Amino acid sequence: MTAALSAFAALDAVPGVDWLALAPVVAPVVALVVVLVLDAVLPAGATLRRAADGVSLLGLLAAAGAVGVLAADGSVRSTLCVPGGGTVTTSCSYVVSPLTLTLQAVVLVGALGCLLLALDGPGAADRGAHHTLFLAAVAGAVTLAGARDLPTLVVALETASLPAVGLVALRRDAQGAQAGFTLLVTALTSLGLLVLGVGMLYLATGHLHLDRIATTLLTPGLPASVAAVAGLGAVLAAAGIAFKLSAVPFHLWTPDTYAGAPLPVAAFLAVVSKTAGLAALVVLLAVGLEPLAGTWGPVLAGVALLTVTVGNLVALRQRVAVRLLAWSTVAQAGWVLLPLGAARDLASTRAAVSASLAYLAAYAVASLVVLAVVVLVARHTPAGEEHGLDHYRGLARREPVAAAALGLALASLAGLPPGVMGLVAKVLAVRPLVDGGVWLLAAAAAVNVALGLVYYLRWGALLVAAPAGPVPTWRVRPAEGLVLGGAVALTVALSVYPQILAGLVPGALR
Amino acid sequence: MSALALDLGPHGGWLLVALVALPLLAAVALLCVPRLSDEDAAQAGTAVAAGVLVLAVVACLGAAPFDRPAPGLAFDVEWIPATGTRFSLGVDGVSAPLLLLTALLTLLCCWLLVRVRPAAGRVRALVACVLAVEGGALATFTAQDLIVFFVAFEVVLVPMWFVIAVWGDDTRPGRSIEPTAPIPGGEAARRDAANRFVLYTALGSAVMLLGLVLVGLRAGTTDLAALTYDAGTSLPASVQTVAAALVVLGLAVKAPAFPFHTWLPPAHTTAPTVGSVLLAGVLLKMGTYGLVRIAVPVLPDGMDVIAPWLGVAGVAGILWGGLVCLRERDLKRLVAYSSVAHMGFVLLGIASMTPQGLQGALFANVAHGLVTGLLFLVAGAVKDRHHTADLLVLGPGLRDRLPRLGWLLAFGAVAGLGLPGLAGFWGEVLAIAGAWDGEEALGVLARPLAVLAAVGTVLAGAYLLRVLYLLWHGAAPPKPESVVEVALQRDLSGHETALMTPLVVLVAALGVLPWLLLDITGPAVRVLLGIGDLP
Repeated sequence: MTAALSAFAALDAVPGVDWLALAPVVAPVVALVVVLVLDAVLPAGATLRRAADGVSLLGLLAAAGAVGVLAADGSVRSTLCVPGGGTVTTSCSYVVSPLTLTLQAVVLVGALGCLLLALDGPGAADRGAHHTLFLAAVAGAVTLAGARDLPTLVVALETASLPAVGLVALRRDAQGAQAGFTLLVTALTSLGLLVLGVGMLYLATGHLHLDRIATTLLTPGLPASVAAVAGLGAVLAAAGIAFKLSAVPFHLWTPDTYAGAPLPVAAFLAVVSKTAGLAALVVLLAVGLEPLAGTWGPVLAGVALLTVTVGNLVALRQRVAVRLLAWSTVAQAGWVLLPLGAARDLASTRAAVSASLAYLAAYAVASLVVLAVVVLVARHTPAGEEHGLDHYRGLARREPVAAAALGLALASLAGLPPGVMGLVAKVLAVRPLVDGGVWLLAAAAAVNVALGLVYYLRWGALLVAAPAGPVPTWRVRPAEGLVLGGAVALTVALSVYPQILAGLVPGALR
Repeated sequence: MSALALDLGPHGGWLLVALVALPLLAAVALLCVPRLSDEDAAQAGTAVAAGVLVLAVVACLGAAPFDRPAPGLAFDVEWIPATGTRFSLGVDGVSAPLLLLTALLTLLCCWLLVRVRPAAGRVRALVACVLAVEGGALATFTAQDLIVFFVAFEVVLVPMWFVIAVWGDDTRPGRSIEPTAPIPGGEAARRDAANRFVLYTALGSAVMLLGLVLVGLRAGTTDLAALTYDAGTSLPASVQTVAAALVVLGLAVKAPAFPFHTWLPPAHTTAPTVGSVLLAGVLLKMGTYGLVRIAVPVLPDGMDVIAPWLGVAGVAGILWGGLVCLRERDLKRLVAYSSVAHMGFVLLGIASMTPQGLQGALFANVAHGLVTGLLFLVAGAVKDRHHTADLLVLGPGLRDRLPRLGWLLAFGAVAGLGLPGLAGFWGEVLAIAGAWDGEEALGVLARPLAVLAAVGTVLAGAYLLRVLYLLWHGAAPPKPESVVEVALQRDLSGHETALMTPLVVLVAALGVLPWLLLDITGPAVRVLLGIGDLP
């Protein structure tokens, strides 16, 4: 009793911890601990499964609720601060801003979808392990969105990445192990780059907090050598983050890992993990290193150009659904990065981040729909998770609702009506390029619209083709139906009212 | 005409929303009713299309008289405040004729499907696609905001892709000198044509988007009325040139302008009859409409730089299309290439940047929609009966065997060659006259382009007379019955004749009374060109 009391007293002793601000991070962690305890206490069986599922979902919902409360509140909150002195301002390690909340909302909506898809999916026997790893990765991704100092950023990124390796390997066969190993090697190599980059930033500026780094870089008469080291650090750190987004040339793990992982985990990598990657990139580069936008902007422009083009070109040749998806997510990551390639100064960086997030949100929602249908098809074909596109032949006859949903989502990803959401996202993504006069990127964007159309349309056309053979009648689980219905509802809502996308991050980046 | 006007009150703008939403919602509804029979679906589609036509007529009457500088009927709500985009629709003298044309052609297409079914696929989904195309086209022709225009412009792509890829004709015409049976190309042939259509136009519209976004960012608004009123004064000439180049390049693919026309012949030839009619009568118009609506009024300084290029492309299309038609044997392909030539006149008229040129372009737009719509209906009927549209196989005496079909084909051909007294004449004459006077925009090229375009009208006469000759008096084919089994020798049914009658009447009416249309477009053209003295 006294021990508990003194623990609470210790909590109070930490100066100015804003628990509401931290609630989106704390809720998944609490759920994680409870799942671990339940796993230890309850005997294996249906009760444990239900309890673990319920606790995990509750944790995510609580986090999402907290994000909603913070968004409704509207004020910018900072916590875990270090007091300043002299010329140094008070700096905080965790900031709740529109940027933070937007990223957290996308992460949590994606995570809820992926968790619901994972229930009863492959690897369901490992419920405890799956949920623990999953919640840890989500907590990491949520933290990334609010992290405003270098160590928090690095630790949060690894918390978001390393559990994903475990999730990938959950299939427990040779291919799964191979997939997990590929991801692990990529993650560790990237960690090396990230730490090196972050170290150089610290070396150049002498600060760990992003706002202080930004202030230092803005100092008049900054020696050129310092700017050069900081610029190199920024590029190296960005390279260390790029694998999360599957940006070329750090994309090679993507197809094998997507194919080797259980499909809901592939969904997690496509939606939550990518959002975490963009969160890290935006927080580090746009919030902390905005004065260096002239250095990292052109680099990101090159990466985006390669990513979108390579992704689309290789996707053209894919005949296996999950591999096509893997390559298309590479291309879509390129679209997410395209606006950032136009960042050169404060104003253009703001516009770029806003556009990038809008594109990411639209991509995440549409991807959830596609992946939900892919999971359903995988469950109803003998070919299983690595089924070819031919298994979608005639889907519209047997499962018109699912086919319509998939068609809408593919149209969104391609950026064509009826997927107005995706179309507006592409318009928003192109705006910074045109505004900044980055015509090479703009031209690449135009060409890639057409390239992407080819395979999305091919897939969509299969839905209405005559079926090759008997198609089994589906049995859709409530959780899968919920994901599909929810994501389709979001797609329709964002198509009718795209202002939600366009107005995600108004004003200054904090 | 302008005496006919209807006061729709303050909420009249909702009529435009209904006009755009009705076909789109009907398309979705049709897709949601799986057990509808083909005939019921076509009849339901016809009813909807008739309703849309009524709405379009009421909307045009509500927008009349067309001598006002702003849209007579408008709808405007906030849509994407972050980018300053408003969901803004309106009808003025430029859009009204195209709205009516779109609604009429869609009605005829749906009506055709009641009795005449394509070989493959279900009619229900085809009707849904046709209605979706109509909704997208109507939205394009009423859009009063750059981004809304772009979204509407893209709506037609997916349904039209399906129309070609699913219901299209999978034969390739014989290419040898001797008449041959059509070569089955299978699904790949349809897919190829459909992909080519969608890739060309999607790439074109993506390029156009870059231009539209540039205008929106630099002018600070995407509202077309404001941009038209501004007439480019707030945009520096360099920005205007870049934006005009992008917009014109993008729209030139859709129009289509030479040398971006290569998607059109396969798409028109492969598409089922309704698809060809809509492609020629509606979709091509979206390209030229965009030029008239956006490039000319919003980017006048940029157009001064781009206009000679556009004019040259237009005249090249006129001559190239005409020359190809002189050798082409497949009737559908021939009509498709003649479309390239006709749209060349429209482009030339726009490039002249003169009132009569623009008037001619808008007139030729509508006339081409009516005439080519008729020709594709006839060509489709021929192909349905003979399973080929090869002129040498169809051979002589078609008129004797099938008099109604022969006469309608002759009428379409004569209208297409621009005979005075029929609709095709006025648009081409005005476009050439505009180009002759268009030295301000076209520079030294004005007179040569006008002369070459006039040569193009001679070519049109030559190739269409060749068609008539082949079908009326041509030499007997070497092995007529053995090569192609001419199974059905039916003449046009009463249904088909009734269907084509409105087009014939309108072509004749516009030929005799051109001011029916010119009075509507005239004031709007002066607004678009920024010529102040309104009547």
